[in-house]
Amino acid sequence: MLEIKDLHVSVDGKKILKGLNLKVETGKVHAIMGPNGSGKSTLSYVLAGRDGYEVTGGSIVYNGEDLLKMKTEERAAKGIFLAMQYPVEIPGVTTMMFLKSALNAQKRARGEPELDAMGMLKLVRAKAKDLQVSEEMLKRALNVGFSGGEKKRLEILQMSLFEPKMAILDETDSGLDIDALKLVAEGVNTLRAPDRSMLVITHYQRLLDFIVPDRVHVLAGGQIVKEGGKELALELEEKGYADVVKVPA
Amino acid sequence: MSAAAQREARRTEALDSFRVRGMPHRRFEHWRYSDLRAVLDAGQVAQAGTAKWNIEHLPEGVELFDLSVQDAPEWVMKTLGHVGNRRTMVEASLAFSEGGVALRVPKGKHIAEPIKLEIGGQGNLRWLIVLEQGASATVFEPHAHDAGYLRNVGVEITLAEGAELQHVRCAPLAPRSFTVELMALELAKHAKYYGHFANFGSRLSRTEAHIVLGGEGAEAHLSGVAVLGHEAHSDVTTHIEHAAGKTLSTQLFKHVAGGKSRAVYQGKITVRDGASGSDSRQTARALLMSPRAEADLKPELIIFNDDVKCAHGATVGDLDPESLFYLRSRGIPEKDARRLLINAFLEEAVDVIGNDTLKETIWHDIEAALPRAMEAAK
Ligand SMILES: Nc1ncnc2c1ncn2[C@@H]1O[C@H](COP(=O)(O)OP(=O)(O)OP(=O)(O)O)[C@@H](O)[C@H]1O
Ligand SMILES: [Mg+2]
Repeated sequence: MLEIKDLHVSVDGKKILKGLNLKVETGKVHAIMGPNGSGKSTLSYVLAGRDGYEVTGGSIVYNGEDLLKMKTEERAAKGIFLAMQYPVEIPGVTTMMFLKSALNAQKRARGEPELDAMGMLKLVRAKAKDLQVSEEMLKRALNVGFSGGEKKRLEILQMSLFEPKMAILDETDSGLDIDALKLVAEGVNTLRAPDRSMLVITHYQRLLDFIVPDRVHVLAGGQIVKEGGKELALELEEKGYADVVKVPA
Repeated sequence: MSAAAQREARRTEALDSFRVRGMPHRRFEHWRYSDLRAVLDAGQVAQAGTAKWNIEHLPEGVELFDLSVQDAPEWVMKTLGHVGNRRTMVEASLAFSEGGVALRVPKGKHIAEPIKLEIGGQGNLRWLIVLEQGASATVFEPHAHDAGYLRNVGVEITLAEGAELQHVRCAPLAPRSFTVELMALELAKHAKYYGHFANFGSRLSRTEAHIVLGGEGAEAHLSGVAVLGHEAHSDVTTHIEHAAGKTLSTQLFKHVAGGKSRAVYQGKITVRDGASGSDSRQTARALLMSPRAEADLKPELIIFNDDVKCAHGATVGDLDPESLFYLRSRGIPEKDARRLLINAFLEEAVDVIGNDTLKETIWHDIEAALPRAMEAAK
C-alpha cells in the first residue's frame, strides 16, 4: 500500500525527518508512537501533501505511484485521508456544504457520479448518527466553536464518508473523554477493511486497546527506531521511551 | 422667485464653487488615496454632459419628479442642492447635469417592491429620495457598465422620523471608467438607513457617503464588498456624524484585491457633544490575492462626548494557508478551495442585505468578478 524509504524532510530549513523508513501493508493497522516533537505530525503532513514541508531525500510509493509527485487534492481523490491533530476552523463555510463539496470533488476526480443535495443529506445523516454528530453541528460553520471532541468526531465522520484507502489518524484520541474515545474507536473499527490501511498516531496505549494495531512503530528523532507487534505499545506505556529506544541524536 | 430661477441661482453658486476649488487631489482631505485631478481635469467633468437614469417600473405609491423639468415642486426644491455639505464634486454634479430624478415616499407608506433605479451613460447626474415620516422603501441602484469615460453622481437622501430606507448600490466591472458617487444623508429621529455598496472594478471608483444621524435613535448600517482585479481602484469613503443621543452606526466592508488593484476604505466617525449613549462599530477587512495588490483601510474616530461606545477594526491579509491545506486535503481542488475561502470571507458583508433577491444579485456579480480578482499581477 505505502512504502516510505529513507525520507528526509525539512521545515523552514530545520531537518525534522532524517531517513525514515516505513512500510504499511494493505488492510493493516499500523500505529506510530513517539515522543513530542519527534516528527509524527510532520510525517502525516508530508503524506497529505502540505506546502512548506520540503522533501530533501527519499521516496514515498503509494499503490505503485510516486506520491510526492501528486497534488494534495489528487492524493485525497486517490484515497489518502488525514484526520488532523488540530482541525482548522473555517468561518463562513458551513459544515454540510463543505462535506458535499469535498465528497463530490473526490468523486469528480475519480470519474464517479456526484451526489445531489438529497442523496448527500441522507448519506451524511446516516453516518452522523453513529458518531453523534448533530444536525445542528452540520449547519454550523466548519469546526467553528466545536469542542475538541466534536472536531475529532467530525474528522472521523469525514473518514467514513470519504472511505479512504489509506487513513492517517494524528492523535485522534487527544482531547476525547472515555465515551467519545469509544465512539471514535468504534467508528474507526467499522472502517477496517481488507483494502483499507490505517496509520494511527497516538501517545496512549488506551486508544490501541480499542483499535488493536497489527504493527507498532516508534518514531524518535526523525526516524523509525523500533518496530514490533501490539505488545510493543504496552511495553512503551510501562517503561517510557527512554528505556525502550535509544533516541538518535 | 420662481422655482426655475431659484434652481438657476443655486446652480450658478455650484458652478462658481467648483471653479474655485477645482478637482479634488491628493492634498484634499480624504482624497489622499484617490487623486482625481491626476487622471481627470475639470474641463472633462464640465463637458461630460448628463448621465442617464431609468426606472422601468415605478412601484405604486412612489412619487417621481424628473429633474430635467425646471419648475420643481417644493419637496424637491427643499432638497436638491441643500442636503449635506458642498463638496466640490457634489457641486460639479449639480452644476453640469441637465437632469436626474427625485423620488418621494409619502408619510406612513411602505413600499415592498424595490425601486430599481438604473444609472448608465457618461456625464453628471443627480438623484434624490425623500422618505416622509414612517415611510419605508428599498432602492436598488445598479450601474450599467457602459460608463464611458466618466460618471459623476450626486445623491441626496432625507429620512424623516421613523422612516426606513434600504439602499443597494451595485457598480459592475467597468475597467476604463472613472466613476464618482457622493451621497449626502440626513436622518431624523429613529430613522434607519441600510446601505450596501458593491464594487467590481473600474479605473477609479469613489463611493462616498456622508451621513448625519441628526435625530435621537437614528441608525445607519453600512456594508459593502469590492472584488477587484487587474488595475481597478475602488475607494469607499464614509463619514458618519452622530449628532444626537442614542444614535447607532455599524459598518462592515470586505474587499478582495487581486492583480495590481487597490482597495481603499476610509471611515470617519464623528461623535458630537450631544450624542450621549451613541454606539458606533466599524470593521473593514481586505484580502490581498496578489503581491502587487494593495489595500488601504483607514478608520478614524473623532469624539466630543465621553458617554459613547465605539469599536473599530481594520485588517489586511491573505488567504489562510492552513485553511487552504485543510480543504485541499479533503479533495477540493486548489482553485475551488480559494473560491470557497473568498466567498466565506465576503459572506457576512453580503448576508446583511435585507432583500434575498438583491442578495442573490450581488452573489451573482461576485461569482463573475472572482476569476479576475484571483489572478496574480502580470
Ligand atoms: N514550521 C516549523 N518551523 C520549524 N520547526 C517546526 C515547524 N513545524 C514543526 N517544527 C518542529 O518539528 C518538530 C516535529 O514536529 P511534529 O509536529 O511533527 O512533532 P510530533 O511528533 O507530531 O509532536 P507531538 O507529539 O507533540 O504532536 C518539532 O520540533 C517542531 O517544533
Ligand atoms: Mg503531532
